[in-house]
Amino acid sequence: MDNLLQFDTGLMIWTWITFIIVLVILGTKAWKPMIKALEDREHYIRESLEEAAAARKEADKIALEYEEMVARARHEAQQIVAAGKETAERMKTEILNEAQDKSAGILKQAEAQITAEREKAISEIRNQIVDISIAAAEKIIDKSLTRADNERLIEDALKEYGRD
Amino acid sequence: MAQSSHGTSTNIGDKIIEHVANSDVMIHFELFGVDLSITKHVIMLWIAAGLLITLGLYASRRYRKEGRPVPTGLTNALEYVVDFVRTGILIPSVGKDHVLKWGPLIMSFFFLILTMNILGLIPLFNYINHGHGGTTATGNVTLTASLAIITFFAIIIAGVLEHGFFKHWKNMVPGNVPKAVLIILIPIEIMSMFVRPFALTMRLAANMTAGHIAMLAIFAPIFILHNAYVGVASVAMNVGITFLEIIVSIVQAYVFTLLSAVFIGQSIHPQH
Repeated sequence: MDNLLQFDTGLMIWTWITFIIVLVILGTKAWKPMIKALEDREHYIRESLEEAAAARKEADKIALEYEEMVARARHEAQQIVAAGKETAERMKTEILNEAQDKSAGILKQAEAQITAEREKAISEIRNQIVDISIAAAEKIIDKSLTRADNERLIEDALKEYGRD
Repeated sequence: MAQSSHGTSTNIGDKIIEHVANSDVMIHFELFGVDLSITKHVIMLWIAAGLLITLGLYASRRYRKEGRPVPTGLTNALEYVVDFVRTGILIPSVGKDHVLKWGPLIMSFFFLILTMNILGLIPLFNYINHGHGGTTATGNVTLTASLAIITFFAIIIAGVLEHGFFKHWKNMVPGNVPKAVLIILIPIEIMSMFVRPFALTMRLAANMTAGHIAMLAIFAPIFILHNAYVGVASVAMNVGITFLEIIVSIVQAYVFTLLSAVFIGQSIHPQH
């Protein structure tokens, strides 16, 4: 049985030498480059996935922004149309009011003018009546009365007439 | 009859031990008074190392040439195992930041032990000592002890590199325990420092030797009973044992590597 657990210095030294040779050669030429390549690939895949996710997010964001922009533009257009309509409506009302005011003014002015003309005509007629009456009276009475007397008489008569 | 069979079995027991032991000196060689004789286990070790270096360099050639290689064939097979060791052993044990630092050692442990274990299963190597028994190099206690000693120093070096010389030894005991507990704890920790590599040594050596002993023991009834028909059953059983041994070879390489990595990891990240 002592064979199985026999210690062998030579084998120990050979094991260490062999292991160090394997470690140095494969460690530098195989394991390190392979681990680096695996880490690099892992990193690359993760980065690519993250990039893809970010790109999709960005695209979604842009689409949303675009939609928002379209909605906003549509809303703005509606507002502009509504404002235009309102302005037109207001202008129409203003124009109508102004026209009405103007026409009323014209009407009033015409009325005033007519009244003035009538009064003027009346006073002219009155004067003429006085003159005619005087002339007639003169002819009838033949200058028995003075002109001043006649005028006063007619004036009185007209005042009476006018009072009725 | 019983007496004679007992005598035969004793002889067979000796034969089995002789078969698995490292007694055969192929070339006697001494340097500065140290016996550096080439035994059959040294030759097995060299064959394994040579095969591994050749295969490893060949399969990994594209990683040295190309920036981002797409592995195929043998390269892909090697990469699969390397990635298995990396993600299954290295990252959980030593942490992602230390993979590149401790990767080469852990990978070398795994692949060299695995190669030796698998080579031990091939019954071709008994011809290197004229049919005097082909064994597994990893079934040799001295060889596994040598590997475990490397782990022993790697654990210390990992801690010292990470925390400095004095801090590493302080890390071995938890900081927030009463002084009285330390009286018990410090000897336990010192003991565990030596028990760990010892357990690694015995686990690997015993497992690899046990398979061979079992196979030889199953063949033994043929010679004890002098009956060729028993051989049919023996061979059938040993075919089964061989398949089992393939699993054991992989598992033991994995266990040795995993525990080494875990111990190194504990030294890097203490009190976790």
